[in-house]
Amino acid sequence: MPIDAGTVEKIAALARLELDPAERERLVRELQAILSYVEQLQAVDVTGIEPTSQVTEGDPPPLRADVAGPCDVRDEVLAQAPDRDGDYFRVPKVV
Amino acid sequence: MMRPPDSTRTGAGSRWTLSTASEIADAVREGKASAEEVTRAFLAHADRTSDRLGTWLHRMPEEALRAARAVDLKRTGGARLGALAGVPIAIKDNIAIRGIPTTCGSKILEGYRPPYDAHVIERLREADAIVVGKTNCDEFAMGSSTENSAYHPTRNPWDPSRVPGGSSGGSAAAVAAREAPLALGSDTGGSVRQPAAFCGVYGLKPTYGAVSRYGLVAFASSLDQIGPFARTARDTALAYNAIAGPDARDMTSRAEAKPVDLAALDRGVQGLTFGVPRELLEGDGLAPEIRSCFDATAEAFRAHGARLVDVSLPNAKYSIATYYLIAPAEASSNLARYDGVRFGLRAPAKDLREMYEKTRRQGFGREVRRRILLGTYALSAGYYDAYYLRAQKVRTLIRADFMKALGAADALLLPVTPTTAFGIGEKVEDPLAMYLNDIFSIPASLAGVPALSFPAGFGPTGLPIGLQLVGRPFAEETLLRAARAHEGWNDASKKAPPIATEAAA
Amino acid sequence: MSAAKPGAAAAPALDEAVQARYEAVIGLEVHAQLKTQSKIFCPCSTRFGAPPNTQVCPVCLGLPGVLPVLNKRAVEFAVMTGLAVGASIRERSVFARKNYFYPDLPKGYQISQYDRPLCEGGEVEILVEGKPRRIGLVRIHLEEDAGKSLHPEGKEGVTTTRVDLNRACVPLIEIVSQPDLRSGAEAVHYLTKLRQILVYLDVCDGNMEEGSLRCDANVSVRKRGDRELGTKTEIKNVNSFRFVEKAIQFEIHRQIGLVESGGRVSQETLLWDSARNVAEPMRSKEEAHDYRYFPEPDLLPLDLGRPWIESLRAALPELPDALRGRLVREHSIPEYDAEVLTETRALASYYEEVAARSDQPKLASNWIMTEVNAVRNKTGQPIEEFPIRADRLGAMIRMIAGGAISGKIAKQLFELMLADPAAPDELVRRHGLAPIEDGEALRALAREVVAANPGPAAEFRAGKEKTFAFLVGQAMKQSRGRAHPEKLQDALRSVLVEDR
Repeated sequence: MPIDAGTVEKIAALARLELDPAERERLVRELQAILSYVEQLQAVDVTGIEPTSQVTEGDPPPLRADVAGPCDVRDEVLAQAPDRDGDYFRVPKVV
Repeated sequence: MMRPPDSTRTGAGSRWTLSTASEIADAVREGKASAEEVTRAFLAHADRTSDRLGTWLHRMPEEALRAARAVDLKRTGGARLGALAGVPIAIKDNIAIRGIPTTCGSKILEGYRPPYDAHVIERLREADAIVVGKTNCDEFAMGSSTENSAYHPTRNPWDPSRVPGGSSGGSAAAVAAREAPLALGSDTGGSVRQPAAFCGVYGLKPTYGAVSRYGLVAFASSLDQIGPFARTARDTALAYNAIAGPDARDMTSRAEAKPVDLAALDRGVQGLTFGVPRELLEGDGLAPEIRSCFDATAEAFRAHGARLVDVSLPNAKYSIATYYLIAPAEASSNLARYDGVRFGLRAPAKDLREMYEKTRRQGFGREVRRRILLGTYALSAGYYDAYYLRAQKVRTLIRADFMKALGAADALLLPVTPTTAFGIGEKVEDPLAMYLNDIFSIPASLAGVPALSFPAGFGPTGLPIGLQLVGRPFAEETLLRAARAHEGWNDASKKAPPIATEAAA
Repeated sequence: MSAAKPGAAAAPALDEAVQARYEAVIGLEVHAQLKTQSKIFCPCSTRFGAPPNTQVCPVCLGLPGVLPVLNKRAVEFAVMTGLAVGASIRERSVFARKNYFYPDLPKGYQISQYDRPLCEGGEVEILVEGKPRRIGLVRIHLEEDAGKSLHPEGKEGVTTTRVDLNRACVPLIEIVSQPDLRSGAEAVHYLTKLRQILVYLDVCDGNMEEGSLRCDANVSVRKRGDRELGTKTEIKNVNSFRFVEKAIQFEIHRQIGLVESGGRVSQETLLWDSARNVAEPMRSKEEAHDYRYFPEPDLLPLDLGRPWIESLRAALPELPDALRGRLVREHSIPEYDAEVLTETRALASYYEEVAARSDQPKLASNWIMTEVNAVRNKTGQPIEEFPIRADRLGAMIRMIAGGAISGKIAKQLFELMLADPAAPDELVRRHGLAPIEDGEALRALAREVVAANPGPAAEFRAGKEKTFAFLVGQAMKQSRGRAHPEKLQDALRSVLVEDR
């Protein structure tokens, strides 16, 4: 399936990535090449095949017991925040 | 069984830098050496070599010496020391160490210091290992050459004009150059095995679920595994034992992961059956020197009592396409948290939307942005079925191929890279060409089975050649046993690049 | 029907005939916070009201390298809810990532469930004008909550938002109803019943003001008789039952007005403004979300064995409908009483104990519905905090039934018991509330009253029967209500006769 500049724009918006026009052009080419390559998967017969989203073998671990534990990383984390307002993270206003 | 010390020693401190992790741990445990003197030796050696190689993103000399002194104190206090007592270990920069910069080779995490330790770091401390620094890597583990690091490339210790491989290039180079006897990296599609092969050292990708991913910055969640680099099979086993096992903080980690029995490593290959996947060998990307090394190795296995059988992995040829849909898709989601809100880089912006877009544009490099876009596309409405879902179905087929092949053999023997280390700058312009290098390493990642890259020989210009053993789930012991046997009759792993044995100035 | 309020989005007043030609079709999506001690994927506390960012850890902060670990109790609570509404529980359900960017969503995705939710189907029965209606459910699934973004409402010149992640990763269940509701009032009945079930199960505290219960409404209209559904809009930000009804009615009204005047309803998301009583389209016209759902690779599919599910079913508490039915059957009280008494499980338990102690189910019901609830309405106390213990109240009612005290005295006793935890008979003794039944004492009282009221006494003796009631009243007043009514009358009559 061919990919065009408009699609790349849309995808970049979904992924919150700014693109300049030159970059967009390059990406159209590169993504097109990659997508053409992965097109080969369309030829594989996957009738009746379940998708694998997990390759773990063996028994899953038991679920976690509902016990509250210590939460003490606030200061260490807020100290590194790009912007803060006291004990809150601060970001530009959501429009 | 301890190996005799290498006879090619030169230079002060080289006694330790050329020793194995096993030798060091034994000496420190028995009080024949102090952890501090060992650590100093490695720090001094790395002082001479690391600038040329670009191994590290953050070295930890003060912390390392402090830890070493603490281990020494522990011993004089009468306590029993752990299995990696006093052994310096390098850690790939996508593994969290509390209070230490963890950048994942990216600008978006420049200066970020995690407020917690990864599970594997806790385990290494329990084993009394000495963490000496964070190594360079491709940004967010995306790449096969470490050229995608936002900071600087790492150079192959065997030839500084060449790449060490990736994404764990710094860790591989550190071990090859003897800056540390052990290192940890992460392997998603080959990122431990391929640099191990390019640098002439061992690199193990454990069974998916054998090592906790808690504290490993996620790239592709269903593929990522932390794995060790070492210079001997036994050292690799020691490192694996120190980090493997279930962790309540990782629901994908498994109790089935059991320590490798070190005594069992010396059982040899007699009676073992090795499968050779013919389809993979017949492709025209495989360099002739690797092909001939492979044939010689297979023959040597046979000569030492192993049985070789042909096996078929008919769907393995779809591995790259499958991987390059699944991994970027998962990555596009895993990297959404890098948004400038709570930590890391934040670009100045007039509103939230702009903040996101500029931060991520400035903070992520080209390869990362490319993969995020590819992954977002593969998951997007209208394309999910044709791309992501289909790739997951082909993955089922590939995995089934492996399980069938591993039913007929104890392990598979195959190449791990199509070529030896390529030149820096040679492949950066063509992403697809770079991806095609992963043809031998990706299949085992998709199947979730353990795979070991081991030094098998050298190319005509002296560049290392590595080959690969792939095993059944949680059969790391079988792979290491075969590698140990191979070590007995093949000296490839014993050679060091000249930079490793340089005398002190 | 209400006319458009001044200042609201213009909608011409619609007369009843017009309205009657349309049918509203409403579905509700309810998010309920589960009453677990810890969050769904990490061990941080879920306690409400903590200082900002004090209940956070690397996992719920979405820091690099962390992984979710599923809380067993969150799963239990979700399964219990599904069982309580008759939904079918999937033995294998799958968590999925819902990907979008927002400052209070730390990972840039929410772990939720998509095409294989934990529960499917089910229904909730409500009473609409006394008649039962079944409201179908589509599904119930588990997901994590986001943190809080605090926007500077009304603060001039403030261009930033503050983020508190205490709430991030708190367990939620999302309950989606079929579009079976037909009015704002029905929606409130449904929401009330749903909340009651959740509180009965003790899986959610049902507090809309604190945000533990949230509701979004999907509203569309169609001409009565039409089979096709109209375009629906989604109303968000309704955080009280009252607003749910208002918002839905507003939107129905608006849509009918639009269609009637030839316009078309566009699919959009509206925010309810409770200050101005209008629902308005969200200001930021975001592109339609593509959430790019895919199965969560860090969590395995959730496999629940049938035996475990059945053990949860066996352990379910008695639910409102069943409890109501049982009270009617066992205690022969009216449906209406049972409805009131089963408002909460605690109230029903209270009633049952009072009924048992007093052996007077109807009397017990009356006392609780009137006197007890009157006090509680004023004070806002839940029954668990009501000062009169069930056994004490039961004992008191037993005393009334047995004639040990009169109904009037009981009211005084009740007031005393509100302030004093002592047993009723003790209080009766202490405050001298025992009825006066002794013949001599009553005759003495009667003589006093007759002596104090010679006129009326004479009138009675002269044949005016009516003054007897007056004399009885005076005697009761004199005895502060304690005189035994029948015996007093006998005593009074005999005194009046003997003095003749």
